[in-house]
Formats: sequence, C-alpha cells, structure tokens
Amino acid sequence: MLSRVADSIYWMARYMERAENLARLLLSTQDLLLDAGAEAADESQFWAPILMTTGDEEAYHTAHATIDGDSAAHFLALSLKNGNSILNCVRSARENARTIRDQLSDELWECINSLRLFLESPEASEMHQSQTAAFYEKVLLASYQFQGIAASTTPRDESWHFLRLGLCIERADKTSRLIDTCSAISLEMPPSPLARPLRWAALLRSCSAWHAFQAYSSNKLDPVKIIEYLLLDPTFPRSVAWCVEQLNSTLVELCGNGRLDDMKTPVRVSGRLLADITYLTMKEVLKEGLHEYIDRLQEKLNDVGQTIFETFVLYADILTPEQEASTTAPAIIPGAFHTILSSDIQMQQQQ
Amino acid sequence: MSSLFDDYQPGRFFDEMFDAPAHAREHYSGITGSIGSLTPGEYAARQRTADAVFLRQGVTFTVYGDQQGTERIFPFDLMPRIIPRKEWERVEAGLIQRITALNLFLNDVYHSQHILNDKTLPAELVLSASHYRPEFKGVKVPHGIYIHICGTDLVRDDKGEYFVLEDNGRCPSGASYMLENRNAMKRTFPGLLQSLPVRPVDAYGSMLRETLAHLAPPGVIDPNIVVLTPGVYNSAYFEHCYLAKQMGVPIVEGRDLLLKNGRVFMRTTTGLQQVHVIYRRIDDDFLDPLVFRKDSLLGVPGIVSAYQQGHVALANSIGTGVADDKAVYALVPKMIQYYLDQEPILPNVPTYLGIEPKECDHILANLDKLVVKAVNESGGYGMLMGPHSTKEEQVEFAKRITANPRNYIAQPVLQLSRHPVFVDDHFEGRHIDLRPYVLYGDRVRVVPGGLTRVALKKGSLVVNSSQGGGSKDTWVLWEDE
Repeated sequence: MLSRVADSIYWMARYMERAENLARLLLSTQDLLLDAGAEAADESQFWAPILMTTGDEEAYHTAHATIDGDSAAHFLALSLKNGNSILNCVRSARENARTIRDQLSDELWECINSLRLFLESPEASEMHQSQTAAFYEKVLLASYQFQGIAASTTPRDESWHFLRLGLCIERADKTSRLIDTCSAISLEMPPSPLARPLRWAALLRSCSAWHAFQAYSSNKLDPVKIIEYLLLDPTFPRSVAWCVEQLNSTLVELCGNGRLDDMKTPVRVSGRLLADITYLTMKEVLKEGLHEYIDRLQEKLNDVGQTIFETFVLYADILTPEQEASTTAPAIIPGAFHTILSSDIQMQQQQ
Repeated sequence: MSSLFDDYQPGRFFDEMFDAPAHAREHYSGITGSIGSLTPGEYAARQRTADAVFLRQGVTFTVYGDQQGTERIFPFDLMPRIIPRKEWERVEAGLIQRITALNLFLNDVYHSQHILNDKTLPAELVLSASHYRPEFKGVKVPHGIYIHICGTDLVRDDKGEYFVLEDNGRCPSGASYMLENRNAMKRTFPGLLQSLPVRPVDAYGSMLRETLAHLAPPGVIDPNIVVLTPGVYNSAYFEHCYLAKQMGVPIVEGRDLLLKNGRVFMRTTTGLQQVHVIYRRIDDDFLDPLVFRKDSLLGVPGIVSAYQQGHVALANSIGTGVADDKAVYALVPKMIQYYLDQEPILPNVPTYLGIEPKECDHILANLDKLVVKAVNESGGYGMLMGPHSTKEEQVEFAKRITANPRNYIAQPVLQLSRHPVFVDDHFEGRHIDLRPYVLYGDRVRVVPGGLTRVALKKGSLVVNSSQGGGSKDTWVLWEDE
C-alpha cells in the first residue's frame, strides 16, 4: 500500500472517531445540564471543561468574550472557525477519504460524503438549534454506520489495519482526556454535592459506558470504580486498556512479532504500553496522581503514533536516503491533506 | 394520448430525435412512448433522484476561479442520445482510421520526418507547434504508439453529417462520466435499457487496463500500473480516482514516486515498489522538473529519462500535443491520405489558419462570423464565438491574432445538431456534441458511444463542463430498429 494512502486512511479514521466522541460528549453535556437544574444557571462551569477536553479554549476565546451554552455548543458542533468542530472533523475525514476514494468501498465513501453534505446544509444548523439531541444522535448514527460499513466491506489487509490504528489511538486519547477533565473539575470545583454524581454519570455516558458499567459494578457511582473501568478494563471497547490492546494486536498483525532485536518499533513501543496498563492497579494510579499518570499515558500514545508514522509513511525515505535526482518531492507530514500542495498548481486545463 | 413531446419544437436545426414535430426518428421509437407517457412531475422526480445520487457519490468536477464550493456535479440530462448501428459503424471506422494516421504521423515526426521532408506538410507549421518536443526526436517508444487514449470530439451539422471538431490526444477527460451516466440510467430507467438492444460501455476499465498493460517493458509479465494525478484539487480528480478504481490500480501523486537506478518506484508501507506503466493525467509541462517546467512540484524528477531508457512506459506518450494542435488538426486529412492512402471517413470542419497570410486576412475580416480558437487551449478557454461576441472582444482577438498568427485558427460556426433536454417541466432542444474514447493498445478499440455533451444554456454552442455544459448517456444500438 502507498505510504500516503496508509496515512490518509489512518487520519480519516481518527477524524471520524473524533467527530463521534465530540457528538457524544455534547449530547451527554446537554443531558447533564437538564439534570443539574438550578446549578445549570452558570453554564460556563459546564462548558469550560469541555473546551478544555477538546483543547479548543484559546480558539473559543478569540471568537467569544464569554462562555455561554449556545455559543459553546455551536462552536464545538458547527463552527467553521474551530478546526476541531464536528463539522470540520467530518470535512477533514472526508478530504482524506477523497484522496483515497479508489481504496474505499463506494458505500464507505458515500457514508462519509453524505454526512459531510448534511453538516454543511442549512437543515443541519436548523436541526442543531431546534432539536439539538436529534442532531447529535444523527452524527452518532452516521459514525456507527461508518464503523459498520468499514467492518463489513474492508478487506482484512493493510486498509483495515490502518483504519483500526487511527480509531484506537484517537479513542484512547479521547477517553483518557475525558477522565482527566472530569476528575479534575469534580475534585477542584465542587459547586455542590448534588452535581458531583451527575458529572460522573455524564462521564460514563460520554463514553457510552453507562449500561456496561451498571452491570460491572455494584457500587453505582464510585469515582474510583468508574475511572478504573474506563481506564483499565480489558473488555469494554472504549476503555484505554482495550484500545491499547487493539493497537498492539493490530500492529503485530501488520508487521509480525518476531524476536526483540528485529521487532518493528511500533510493536515494541505499543507492547510495552500494553504490558504496563495490563498490570496496573488503581492504587498505583492514584499514588502517582491521576492527572500525572494520564499525562504520561498520552505521551506514550503519541510515541506509538509517531513510530507508526515513521515506520509506515517515512519508511521508504529512511531506507533510501541518497536520492538520485537533485530535487525531491516535499516531505510527507502526518495528516496528509493538511499538506496537500497548494491547490493552484494542481489545476490544469482539461482536454 | 398526450405525450411529454407533444409541444417539442425541433426547430431549424438537425434534431437527433425528431425529424418533424411529434415525429420521432426510427431509432428513438423504442423510448418515445414510455418517456413521453410520464407526467412532467414524474420525469422531474427521476431527474432529482439521479442528481442526488451523483452528489452523494461525489461525481463532481471543479470549476477553477470559482471561490464558492469548488466542487460541482456535472449536470446530467436523463434523456438518452441514441445512435443507430449503421451510423455508429461508420463513425467507429472513421475514428480507427484517424488514430492510426495520427500515430503514424507522430512516429514519423519524432523520427525521420518523411512527411515534412517531402513537403507534404509544411515543416514550419508542424515544428512550431508548442507541444512539439524536440527532446523526443529519435526516442523509441513502446510499439511506436504515442496516443493510446484519444478523446475525439465529433459534431453534426444541420444536415446530420458527422465532422471531427478536434482530436484530444494529450489527456482527454470525461470517460468516467460516460460510465457513471450509464449507471444513473440503469437506476432511473431500468426498464428502458432492458427493452432496447443497447451496447454496454462498462468494459472501458478493463479495456483501458489491457491497453496500458500492453506497454509494459519487455519481460514484465504482470506490470505494476498506476494512474498519476496532479492531486485532489485538479478539476478531473474524481475521474482519475474513478478510472484507477475501475482498473484496480493505485492512484499516485508525484510525491509518491521516486527514481532509483533509472527506474521508477512508489513509496509503500513496506518499502519501494517498482512501477512499469503510468497512465499520467499530468500535462507534459509538469511531468518532470528536470526536463520541462523547473517549478513543477507535481511531477517526478527523472521520470522522463526513465521513459527514454524504456524502464517505464507513459500513456499517452510525451509530445503528442503536436498532433492535436488546432492548426496541425487542419492537416490530418492529408496525413490520412499520406500514410494510409485512404480518403478520410470523417471529414474535418473547414479551418482557416492564422499562419497562412490569405486565410489570416479572411479571419480578421470575418471575426463576427467565425469561431476563433487559440491552438493550444482546451476546455473552451481562449475562444471567440464570433456571432455572440462584442465589438470589444473582436478587437481584442484581432490584436492577439495579428501579434501571433500561428497561435490562432478559425472555423465557420457550425449549427450543431440538437437533442431534447428537460428544462423545468418540458423538453427543449439543446446543441450537443459527442466524445467517443478510442484506445490503441495491441489493437484499436472504440467504446460504443462515448460522452454526449450538451450546451445547457439556450442557444449556446459551447458544451465544455467548465462553460456550463452538461452531459447525457449515449446509447449505441446492436441492431437498427
């Protein structure tokens, strides 16, 4: 498979997963606000952490002076100015898909393209205002559809593996960020004892884990149990541990296991992370500090991402450092479409 | 019973479907009844279904210089254009004759230049074509074939006579729309296609692949074929992708390829993989910054030398533009006589050359009546439609022609044939042309039909997608009715 194609499949999957996670987070926040009653009067304390989770605080504040629910929700869902809005994530997924549409099943391409067409339409803005929950549900459904079509139409070759890698890294990153933010605000700014359990319930919902967790734990809203479940449970498909296990097994399928001295770097790096998270206890996490641990975890996830990039995208260049020709094509950078040559030079008159 | 076609006026043009009001030609009789019996609402609903499918599938092209949403669907008119068998057989023979002569001409021009040396064609005119590549004189190309994929534009005049309007022998586009139009028809009017003996077009992908595989360097049994695109922002990107997918080969950009030991490789997740045949959809100028435009980031440095050494094949070859230069076009009938000793089956449109002083005077004196074309432009750019032009435009073109007469030709305005097209809630006649696709590999193959392009603006004679054109499905019948 072309390195550029692998990179685009990976980023297409990441952006779709990012859009889905954001839609679910926004949906659970909306529910939380409804449940919080009078406490929801100060909307900013609910929305600020979300902007923190998605890493868009700065971008938001350049566009808006204060945090209010409507502006924040619009900013996160449909704003063109927010590079990480649902709309822009889907556009990015679609742009990546467009560069590799010959590699995708028609059904998969049409699924992404239809979602993009919907999000860009006036109906989408209208729906987001008047039936907000239905809007998020529609995005979620489209993402589930994407996963389903991908699973049932993608050959289990490299295409599938790079899809899985993108999805698992993005999901592990988002789940760990959600845990981090939720625990930080619950510990630091407890507005009242009432809101706290609601926030933990919202955390579970934003990871689609509410029902699974009910079956798993008898202690319904023990924060430590919730964190343990979302971080370390090997069976729940949005937990960090599950994602890491999938990452590692996908990488093993991609490049084999082999002896340690000729093992491919991503296999080794993800294997070490897997061993660590498999044998980790909550006690140890809390001793180190949850926030500190998650920081370290995210660094390691980034390392895995970086080695994937170096191994599969830059591979050919690393092997052939001496180029015969004097000029070389511009280097490929992760997230292929961002670096696409300026559109002007691709234009030529058509015969 | 009333019909959707009751009020249709064929007008004073050659109408493909009706030879008189409410009287359909024989080969259209099979569909006149079933389409005519629909209500305008029913017909419009099917048209909307087809449009929605195109949009969802992203069957789009890009209009340059248009800031608003750069992707558009290529407007598709559901009413099919039908060509009876006998008529098609003559067109096909004419196309085969033409591509054969063009390839013999290119092989000659890039080798001994007999046709110039014995003054059958003026050397000065041919060698001054801007797409002539002197670098390629004496270079052997696989099987001596230069144009493997040709998209010849045909038009019919007010008597229904077919003419060749231009030979597109560099990177002709549109084949993907031909294929998608047929798919759209299958979904919207399945019964119609079943009831008529229509020749299928869906073998184009495998025919193209065979044509390309034929070019592989000697000894390569299972060649790696790729489609080379300028990238997603190119107006024909959809098509590049589509054709790659039809053939089951990778689509690559210049940055995916590199040269090593004089051979071309692509960068893959498991290292470098050699490429044997490149269906390139990048113009000559951008192909290799070491040889042509130095500033091109789209191409692959060194690819031309790999081609010259025979390590990789390119389709189409480099320098084919000398044959589809609009001034050289005027000489194609002479090429057919010279190389094949035959009379052209498909005539040219009468053409005045700016480089010939007498003809140039005629052009300048009749700017308001002629169509003037710059010889190297395509897609409807660089054109003056005399009767529809303003005085200012004519003055501007007169200046340009006087400054560089070699660069311009002119032709009388042909009253192109028309075809019923659905407008709002009824049918109106619109001018059309036809672009069949001709493939030259181990033998010459012509896809039955091609892309019928429609000038959707009332009265317009310009069918290019970039200038408000649309398209239709084209049905060639196995049997005449």
